[in-house]
Amino acid sequence: MATTESQLDDQEPGAAEGGSVDEEVETRVGWRYTLAKVKRDATARIGLYIVAFVIFIAAFAAIDSNLSRLTFDTMSDYTAAQAIPFFDHPTRIPPPGEAHPNEPPVFVDGGSLSHPLGTDPQGRDYFTRIIYGSQVSVSVGLASTAIGLIGGTIIGSIAGYYGGWIDDLLMRSVETVYAIPPLVLIIVFTVFISGGSPDIQYAVIGVGIAFIPVFARIIRSRVLSVREMDYIEAARAAGVKDRNIIRRHVIPNSFAPVMVYATLQIGVTILIVAGLSFLGYGAQPPTPDWGEMLRIAHGRYMHSNIWLSIWPGLAILVTIMGFNLFGDGLQDALDPRIEN
Amino acid sequence: MSSEPLLRVENLKTQFFTETGTVRAVDGISFEVYEGEIVGLVGESGAGKSVASMSLLRLVESPGEIVGGTIEYKGETIFDLEEGPDGELREHPDMLSESEMRERIRGREIAVIFQDPMESLNPVFTVGGQLREFIEINRELPKDEAKAEAVRMLREVGIPDPEDRYEEYPHQFSGGMRQRVLIAMALACEPNLIIADEPTTALDVTVEGQILDLVDDLQDRYDTSFIWVTHDMGVVAEICDRVNVMYLGEVVEQAPVDELFYDTKHPYTSALLDSMPRPDRTVDELEPIEGVMPEAINPPSGCRFHPRCPDAREVCTRVHPENLEVDQAEGYPHRAACVKHDVFDVGYDESVPLEKGDEAETRVGETGSDENVDSTVEEGQASTDGGKANEANQTNRSPNRDGGESRP
Amino acid sequence: MGLLRYTIYRLLQAIPVLIGISIITFVLANLAPGDPVRLMLQGQQADEELIRTIEQRYGLDQPLHVRYWNYMTGLVQGDLGYSIHRRRPVSDLMLERAGPTLLLVLSAYLFAIVTAIPLGIIAAKRRNEPTDHISRIVALIGVSTPSFWIGIMLIIVFAVRLGVLPSAGLVYPWQPPEAAGHGSYLEHWTETIRHLILPMIALGTLQMATLMRVERTQMIESLQEEYVKLARAYGVPERTILRKHAFRSAQLPIITIIGLNLSTALGGAVLVETVFAINGIGRLFVEAIQQLDYQLIMGITMVLGFMFVVGVVITDISYAYIDPRVTYGERE
Repeated sequence: MATTESQLDDQEPGAAEGGSVDEEVETRVGWRYTLAKVKRDATARIGLYIVAFVIFIAAFAAIDSNLSRLTFDTMSDYTAAQAIPFFDHPTRIPPPGEAHPNEPPVFVDGGSLSHPLGTDPQGRDYFTRIIYGSQVSVSVGLASTAIGLIGGTIIGSIAGYYGGWIDDLLMRSVETVYAIPPLVLIIVFTVFISGGSPDIQYAVIGVGIAFIPVFARIIRSRVLSVREMDYIEAARAAGVKDRNIIRRHVIPNSFAPVMVYATLQIGVTILIVAGLSFLGYGAQPPTPDWGEMLRIAHGRYMHSNIWLSIWPGLAILVTIMGFNLFGDGLQDALDPRIEN
Repeated sequence: MSSEPLLRVENLKTQFFTETGTVRAVDGISFEVYEGEIVGLVGESGAGKSVASMSLLRLVESPGEIVGGTIEYKGETIFDLEEGPDGELREHPDMLSESEMRERIRGREIAVIFQDPMESLNPVFTVGGQLREFIEINRELPKDEAKAEAVRMLREVGIPDPEDRYEEYPHQFSGGMRQRVLIAMALACEPNLIIADEPTTALDVTVEGQILDLVDDLQDRYDTSFIWVTHDMGVVAEICDRVNVMYLGEVVEQAPVDELFYDTKHPYTSALLDSMPRPDRTVDELEPIEGVMPEAINPPSGCRFHPRCPDAREVCTRVHPENLEVDQAEGYPHRAACVKHDVFDVGYDESVPLEKGDEAETRVGETGSDENVDSTVEEGQASTDGGKANEANQTNRSPNRDGGESRP
Repeated sequence: MGLLRYTIYRLLQAIPVLIGISIITFVLANLAPGDPVRLMLQGQQADEELIRTIEQRYGLDQPLHVRYWNYMTGLVQGDLGYSIHRRRPVSDLMLERAGPTLLLVLSAYLFAIVTAIPLGIIAAKRRNEPTDHISRIVALIGVSTPSFWIGIMLIIVFAVRLGVLPSAGLVYPWQPPEAAGHGSYLEHWTETIRHLILPMIALGTLQMATLMRVERTQMIESLQEEYVKLARAYGVPERTILRKHAFRSAQLPIITIIGLNLSTALGGAVLVETVFAINGIGRLFVEAIQQLDYQLIMGITMVLGFMFVVGVVITDISYAYIDPRVTYGERE
């Protein structure tokens, strides 16, 4: 992270030279330039495609049967299943005799095309569950990163701009939160907040809050460097309100490095939430979540039904890799030193 | 002076192959260095001085490459290409191999002093340790003798308490002291030629003076030859015996130092001299050179200096002048690459003088738009050069952008 | 400042962090809807009389700040509290379980360092060549894969399919061989290593990938330094440049990263210990959470935080040792 900051501080060489109007022009040009470079960078492009693909699948799964997703408790499982013409609904437990529990994938003996990746112990189509899992992972990743980002931006810009005890408090809390392994901290948070019955929404909030200090730190260091710039001095001298200075100058200027970090953070978040669900403190059954699916697979079926362990892990891997590739590409595009 | 030069460079070409095109950083320069003399390599930032000097050691980094010419040192071939039977250029069989370069030439025969003493010493090793390592490698002395020699050299370059300082780390030395250490490194390897790449640019003026005196003194005693790379005509006047003036990868004038100062043959050299602050002139009399140096990636046609040249005529846009001998002085030729001299005979006198200004300005504008190419391309060798060029450009560019308004 | 004084100074600096950790866990534990005793007895018939007795016995009937004060005074004396569930002092439990976790984390780091640094250097040296691309892909996969899934896959391949390595538990090298039913120390330690390999790789992969990326970037930067060019210009062989001139300064950020990543590694240990059924702190934590044994949870959080702080102090000291620009106590 430290490197990210210093690399990105080299950005916007023209920022210090002009007035505020000029500054905005520079920022916009900078963004267009960044986008062009991201498009040119093969790594970033692959990452973007993967991310877009996963998000598309997640969105598709949501649109296709969002009703059933939201109300699977009240709707009959069978009608929900009819919402998807192709495969079984992930939360539907088929009536006895309809499907064989633990059917293997199609390319293994005993597999069939109707369940290309096999079925889970309850006879649900594994492929469909994997698809639906993307929804949980993506929304969890985005939502908790957004919490961290928004919280971090508010706290970081205040701390950086005003300094003093707020700043001290922030830095101490960052150190403290750093010291507790995030997974442990989030589990403790989730379990206690939920009063002993954890679920995915607590996990999202927990992860989001746990990463607020990290975002705050990045914003703070950006603010500290922006604060010293001449045009901020000028704005302050001209009597522009602090709040407006922060909103109009400081935050836009910090945007680029934070976006890079946020993109990479989505991957980390998905990783942590998968771990959480794996331990049983994230998504709860019957929600199709990759970590949760791995928990069930590891518990009883690791030796007998290998495919149950393979697919969710691969799905996590590909998704996180997409965000990481995209984040790396973004970072390269924003780093003036890695030209050609 | 012996008739055989210590180092002979002929038609050396070094190019950088980048995405945006081929940068001819060094484009056919020729010069000699004789034993015991200090030869200056002068020019603005980005003229190719540093690349030229690194080419002499064959240490041009990717994407740069020496693509042509001959470098001979004491009768050994550092670089030479010959045409193979299939018409392809290939390395001459006499050319030293990479390991021969490393073992016989680098450090041992030709040593270097870099521009930035702050960056040139490894921060995590002691100063003495670094000095000793180079002595061990290049003089094949055992450890303890190398150490004694290192301490002796530190004393030689005027570092007080060399025994104690030997154990210290670079960050405990001031800039001037570090440059002395680098000079000690160069001399300790007992080379016959030292390439000093802007060794005093990063230092303040008083320290610069001390270092120049030190080099002058040591040069007398060790009789080492120097190639002194600089952009500072004042330093040239103080230290050099002969001078090569470089512009955009080419040597445009070559003469003994007094001759160069008092009988300048190239308008670029005159411009450099006029832009130099001197005690006998006031600031008002200084004449900065107009415009900035164009890109080596897309040099102007004809004479490369013509867009900025006060004497430019129509013919200059067409004819690319060689660096020809136009005079003799102190037994050395005085060469200049300017068609206004009679040797060229391309009809300069009859040619129409160029309307100055418009051409220059368009050039400047063009350069500004893709200036960053330069700094990326010359990465290491000329990174600071690139930075300066950038700055120069910014200030030059702003009037264009704002329609003439000056900025705060 | 001497090394010892610097160490003490750094440890003292860590005190606010430890206080912060205690506040965080204490606040979290008391944020719980319903009081801890009720949570503990979840599922059982809550007898008011019993609850009050338990509360009185463990001082839970007192106001929050008093309880925190009591907890802190206990901590200072090395008392981490008492696990009501297990009827044992938390510190005893921690001592019992710290060994396997430390063994696992340290061996994972060893694995990560031993593989990442040479690979990073090779990648930097052959920048943009196939070797570099392959190592970058490996690193990318490494940072994108959950450690517990790597563990599961390793078990499936090496334990289930090939049957060459054990899939669960650890053999503790500090125990006598007889305790584990082994005839000799050689057999005992061989078993230790055989049990350690899979969890070590599972936990170490993320660290390896992270370190490899940093090592590569650092070496690339370091190889472009002026002093490396100077060494080349003085005829220093390329091998020496790589191993000595460029290497040393490139390791400084690595040390920092190792320290900071300890936090992730300890968190990963929770998952890996669960997958491989290793009785370390991580698994103890999972059990404590299941039982809502909140004294134990707080104790574990404190100890993990303390381990992290100690790890960072150790890396700080080695940083100061390797970088002459850092004098003890006056880091920039």
